[in-house]
Amino acid sequence: MLVLLWGLDGDSPLSEVRDQLNLLDVPTKFVDQRRVLETEIELVVGETVEGCIRIGNDNIDLGEVSAMYVRCYESARLPEIAATGPDSAAKQHAIQVDDILACWSELTSALVVNRFTASAANGSKPYQLEQIRGLGWGVPETLITTDADEARAFWKYHGEVIYKSVSGVRSRVSRLRAEHADRFADLSSCPTQFQQYIAGVDYRVHVVDDKVFACEVRCSADDYRYPENGAPDIRACTFTPDLEEKCRRMGAAMNLPLAGIDLRRTPQGEWYCFEVNPSPAFTYYEQITGQPISQAVALLLANAAPEYMPEARHGAASGSGRCGIKG
Amino acid sequence: MLIILAKQEDEIAAWLAHRWQSHNAVLVSAADLSTSGWSLHLASPGKSRACVGGRDIRNEEINGVVTRIPRVGSEDLEHIVSSDRRYVAAEMTAFLLAWLSSLACPVLNRPTPSCLGGPIWRDEEWVHLASRLGIPVIPVRRKTPDDVPLPEVESACAVTVVGEACLGNAAEPLIKNARKLAKAAGTDLLSVRFTGSEADSAFVSASVWPNLSSPETADTVLQCLLEKSVC
Repeated sequence: MLVLLWGLDGDSPLSEVRDQLNLLDVPTKFVDQRRVLETEIELVVGETVEGCIRIGNDNIDLGEVSAMYVRCYESARLPEIAATGPDSAAKQHAIQVDDILACWSELTSALVVNRFTASAANGSKPYQLEQIRGLGWGVPETLITTDADEARAFWKYHGEVIYKSVSGVRSRVSRLRAEHADRFADLSSCPTQFQQYIAGVDYRVHVVDDKVFACEVRCSADDYRYPENGAPDIRACTFTPDLEEKCRRMGAAMNLPLAGIDLRRTPQGEWYCFEVNPSPAFTYYEQITGQPISQAVALLLANAAPEYMPEARHGAASGSGRCGIKG
Repeated sequence: MLIILAKQEDEIAAWLAHRWQSHNAVLVSAADLSTSGWSLHLASPGKSRACVGGRDIRNEEINGVVTRIPRVGSEDLEHIVSSDRRYVAAEMTAFLLAWLSSLACPVLNRPTPSCLGGPIWRDEEWVHLASRLGIPVIPVRRKTPDDVPLPEVESACAVTVVGEACLGNAAEPLIKNARKLAKAAGTDLLSVRFTGSEADSAFVSASVWPNLSSPETADTVLQCLLEKSVC
C-alpha cells in the first residue's frame, strides 16, 4: 500500500491529509510540483499500465500506489516555470510531467481523489447544474445569454437575480443591481450567466465517500467567500438521514469520492444546490467547525485496497511498474 | 439547419458548409458567439435560441451539429481586448459545452466536459481501452525527459467510423474492432489507425477528428446526421 499525494508544498488540504496519513503510519510519497524540474516520469501502456517517477533520489513505482490525492495546479504556470518563457524546455518538461501523471491517474485501478475526468464537469457551471438537476436536486432557474433584452426580461420576471461566470474562471457570485444596467450592452461580447436569486441560508457539505460533514454558513454577502462585513458565521450541523444520503448519492453519481457541495435552504424549507466542487478547500471549514474532514480523507486513502476499489475507467490492470528511469 | 462548429479559417469546415448548403449548413465560429441572440434557458430548452449566420433561430430548428474544435482558444478571439481573451475563451467553451449538451439533434461528437468534440483521449488511453476490449495493441511509452525516443509506429491503415458506417479498406475484423472501440468510447465519429489492413493488424491510435475532406466521408457524415435526425 502506498498513497501518492500530488500538489504544492504548503497547500493546506494536502498538508493536513499528509499529516493525518503520517499519524496513521501509512506510507506516502509526495509529488511536489515545485520540484517539477527535478521530476522524471515514465509511463508504459499496453495490456498493463506501468510507470514510475523519480524525484531527486526518490523512486516511486506507480504499480505500488493504492490511492492518490490530487490537489495539483498547472505546473507550467508556477512563477518559476512561467519565468523561463513560453517555449522554454523547462515549460515543456513541466507540461509533460503533468500530462503523464494525469494520464496515469485516469488509467490506474488505484483510488484517485478525484480523477480529472470526474472533476471536469465543474468547468462549466450550467453543464454541472444540469447534472445536479438530473440527480433530483432543486436548482435555480438559469439563463446564459448574449442578448440584453433576454437578460432584462429574466431580471424583471424573477425580481432579483445574480450573475456569475459560466466557467470556473473568476467564479464569484454577485447580485445584479440597477447600476449594472448600463453594462448590458457588453453582453453581446460573451455569453453571461444569470440566475434566479434564491433567498435562504447557505450550507457547505463535504462528502468523503460515505461520510457527510455539513455546516451552516450565515453571511450577508452575495458570495460568502468574499464577505464585505466581517467573516461568515460557520457552524457544524447535522442533516436528516435522507438529506445526507442524497448528498452521498450525488458524490457517487459524479464519481467524486471527495466533494464540496453548495446548498441553500429557503425560509420555506426547500433545498437548492448550486454547485459541486471536486477539489474543495475543506480545511477552511475544518478549522472553524472542528469537523475531522482531513482525517476522513486520509482514512479513505488508507483503506483503498484493491478489492474495494471502484473499477477504473476501462477496468484497468496495473502492471508491475518496472521502472525504466535510470537511477 | 446544420451547424459546423469550427475555427473561422477551417477550410474543410467551409467546404462542408458549401457541400451541404442544400441543408442550410453554416459554419459557426467563436466570433459568432460575440453576437446578440444566443440564449440558453436551462429549465426551458424550448426557449433557447442561437444566432447563426445572422439569423435568429430556435434550437429545434437545428438538425445536426459537427464539432471540429476541442475548445475556444484565446487565439480565436481577436475581436476581444487581449487582457480578456483567456477569460472569454473559458466562458465561451463552458457555454458551448452546456449548449451542445442541451441539443436534442444529432451532435457529432457529443461533447465531454474535457472536449467539445468528444473524448479527446491521449494515445495511452485509447490503447488501454482497445486492450481492455481484446483488440491487439502496440504498447505506448512516454517518458520525460525523453532521452531515447521510441521510433514512431507506422500505421498503414485508417478506418473511419461514422455512426453505423465504416470507411476504409481493411479486413472485416478491423472494421469490427473500430466499431467496437467507437461504441465503447461513446463516439459516432472516430478515426482508428491500425498497423496494416490485414485481419491480425494491431491497433495504433484513434482520434475524434477524422479527415472529412473527401466527398465520400462528407456524404457519409451528412447521411448519419440526417438519419439520426429522423430517429
